[in-house]
Amino acid sequence: MCLAIPMRVESVEGHLARCQAKGVFRDVSLFMLQDEPVAVGDYVMVHVGYAIQKVAEAEARSAWELYDQLLAANGPGDSPPS
Amino acid sequence: MTTARDWLDRIRALKLDRPVKIMNVCGGHERSITSAGLRGALPEAIRLIPGPGCPVCVCPEEDVYQAMQLALQDRVILVAFGDMLRVPVNVPKGEVRSLVEAQAAGADVRPIASPTEARRIALENPDRPVVFFAAGFETTTAPVAAMLAEGAPSNLYILLSGRLTWPAVAMLLESEAPGFDALVAPGHVSTVMGPEEWRFVVEAHGLPAAVAGFTPESLLAAFWSVLRQIGSGARFLDNCYPEVARPGGNKTAQRMLDTTLEVVDANWRGIGVIPKSGYALRPAYAAHDARLHFPDHSAPGRRRAGEMPPGCDCARVVLGKLMPSECRLYGRACTPRTPVGPCMVSDEGACRIWWSGGVREPAKAD
Ligand code: SF4
Repeated sequence: MCLAIPMRVESVEGHLARCQAKGVFRDVSLFMLQDEPVAVGDYVMVHVGYAIQKVAEAEARSAWELYDQLLAANGPGDSPPS
Repeated sequence: MTTARDWLDRIRALKLDRPVKIMNVCGGHERSITSAGLRGALPEAIRLIPGPGCPVCVCPEEDVYQAMQLALQDRVILVAFGDMLRVPVNVPKGEVRSLVEAQAAGADVRPIASPTEARRIALENPDRPVVFFAAGFETTTAPVAAMLAEGAPSNLYILLSGRLTWPAVAMLLESEAPGFDALVAPGHVSTVMGPEEWRFVVEAHGLPAAVAGFTPESLLAAFWSVLRQIGSGARFLDNCYPEVARPGGNKTAQRMLDTTLEVVDANWRGIGVIPKSGYALRPAYAAHDARLHFPDHSAPGRRRAGEMPPGCDCARVVLGKLMPSECRLYGRACTPRTPVGPCMVSDEGACRIWWSGGVREPAKAD
């Protein structure tokens, strides 16, 4: 449950961002990143619907690769990757 | 970039004169280790121990029971992260023993994936009480705090079973037999709380520690760091996930945790009370505290209240005292299809992770 997933910010409205990871879109709260500027094109680590940290694109890509492998190995878990 | 193979070569080149036990305290770490097959790839002398990394596994049985009764008797809309729904409580045969069974019995139980969904459901049902049963470590509790700080609808109540990770490690280290020689600290807990939280492992207990991310490279880098520290005698807190777990952590998230919640002594299922290891709502948020608003159904006189299910060794698995496959029920009476204990239910439970990672053999004894 403590596994956060990196997503790309596609649009921002107040504390809410529309984010995307590998074609999957989610509404993500930026409330915990309100003290830093977050812009379209940034990457954020998302955990239970909240962005917990900004990350570089390279970090996002290596994490995506890992989650692909985990998913292929184990199948999706109970908790949706939000 | 150093590849996983390079790290493995470096680790294999280290001369270890005795077995070394490295504990991790994160279900995500354990899942990466298991699915990448890191145990088998490392020299035999290195033992990777899954430790307290599953908040659902240690969520008090009384809290699960209370959540079920709120849904069954008080007819609230009960929302919880999906993991929580199949966690069994101890009741006589034939009685409702989990939130899923409560749902089947007609209670309004809904799985959610985010605290924002709890808020949305409360807003959509203004004339009904909604209880958000929230178990989790710091990474998950911070978003609950953020949702409260942003403003929760008046019909939304939190049944909070939030836990802090480090006090369980501190408890183990203060015990007579901690059961590990080095610690790999959790990457996303450190992202929120700051890697510095883990300094006490090095400074107060003299054990090497390294924060790790979730790729095999990051985990192997952390193993290599602590093994080299053991060899050289040097001791420091290394950070093998610096791109994400930054110094100081997420200060905004920490401020939200601090304004809405206080740190209290808390009960861990099958383990007991660990000082300063849990979160409770601050008095300013009492209007949203499900523990204050609803009758207490936990019935402490209930048979086996608070315990793990009969025959389940989950508490010792959580503490790293027993490997999942050493449990007598592992893979026999207990599988993800028919879980006996919470460690086989939760995605972060070591039993579940080992079983879905293909571990079918009983563990070798030391
Ligand atoms: S295998 Fe099942 S019964 Fe045994 S410790 Fe794990 S969850 Fe409990």
